[in-house]
Amino acid sequence: MNALLLYFLLLKATGTSFSGLTSLPVVRHDLVERYHVLTDRQLNAAVAAGRTAPGPNGLYVVSVGYFVAGVPGACAGCLAAMTPAFVIIVLLRYLGRRAERPGVKSAIQSVTLAAAGLVISATIPLARNAITGPLPMAIAIASFLFLVFTRYATVWVILGAALAGLAGSY
Amino acid sequence: MASVSLRRLSLICLRVSNLTFGGGDPTMAALQSELVTRQGWLPPEKYVLVYALARITPGTNILAFCAGAAWELKGWPGAILAVLAATVPSAIVVVLLTAGYESLQHNARALAAIAGTLAAAVGMMALSAWQLLRPHMQRGRALRMLRALLLAATSALLSYRFRVSPIVVLGLAALAGFFWRAPERT
Repeated sequence: MNALLLYFLLLKATGTSFSGLTSLPVVRHDLVERYHVLTDRQLNAAVAAGRTAPGPNGLYVVSVGYFVAGVPGACAGCLAAMTPAFVIIVLLRYLGRRAERPGVKSAIQSVTLAAAGLVISATIPLARNAITGPLPMAIAIASFLFLVFTRYATVWVILGAALAGLAGSY
Repeated sequence: MASVSLRRLSLICLRVSNLTFGGGDPTMAALQSELVTRQGWLPPEKYVLVYALARITPGTNILAFCAGAAWELKGWPGAILAVLAATVPSAIVVVLLTAGYESLQHNARALAAIAGTLAAAVGMMALSAWQLLRPHMQRGRALRMLRALLLAATSALLSYRFRVSPIVVLGLAALAGFFWRAPERT
């Protein structure tokens, strides 16, 4: 897949998401299901790479781009992560306080809730792929609970999970 | 207001965005203390406006915040430099990690460790959904909670069971939200 098309497909995902991994369902729909240029396992690894690195969580699309088209793909992913940020300048200029209108606020809030549902829907196939026995299941549940109840950085969870996986292989 | 240096502004975005783990809110709080309190560049009411608009800008909130705050202070050159500074170093780390993952594909021990991280990523995706839902799960506000769960569950069902495209689901949710607002506190 050429980097330009990849950029537009990833931009479609980042430009319609409002936080964290909410662009994931669109990425999966286009690259895994429609174009077959990415596997569920790679998408899952991209999420892990994005969360291991410090910095904005949305950068897993850089890893997705790299899986699909190497370094040019990674650049396309990086640009797709950056582009929507500039929309705020248009908003600051023309919208100002109008964004506080109840109808607009409620619409955005509902989009975020729908995104939660979409993330769950996109997680199911990835979970089928990654959770192959009791140990991965325990790691997934433990990671979730650890992040809900403590304030440690995700990088420690990833490291702990890698060690647990390694220990399980002996 | 103290005079704003383009270089210092970009360096602040670089440091705060690339070195703060834990996502949106901790990073935004760190930027607030830098730009509003320490440097005195951004008046508090401007910060609140940029913060609010960053939340409704598509994509990554922190990047939108950097773009908006830097645009207020230094125009387009500021915005472009701030977003590049906030993104590129982390993006390089992500590429290195991904390349490492690919080159370790044939090592059995490494594969076991990677399988562990993939399982953890599933937990993190569940966390991401939970974090979006959590603000709506408040005791004593059953109607608000019900509305949130209904919107999320309908979206999950439309996407998973009926294969409706995510963009269409998001569009439908925006329409539903515009006409059906969350009940106010009673």
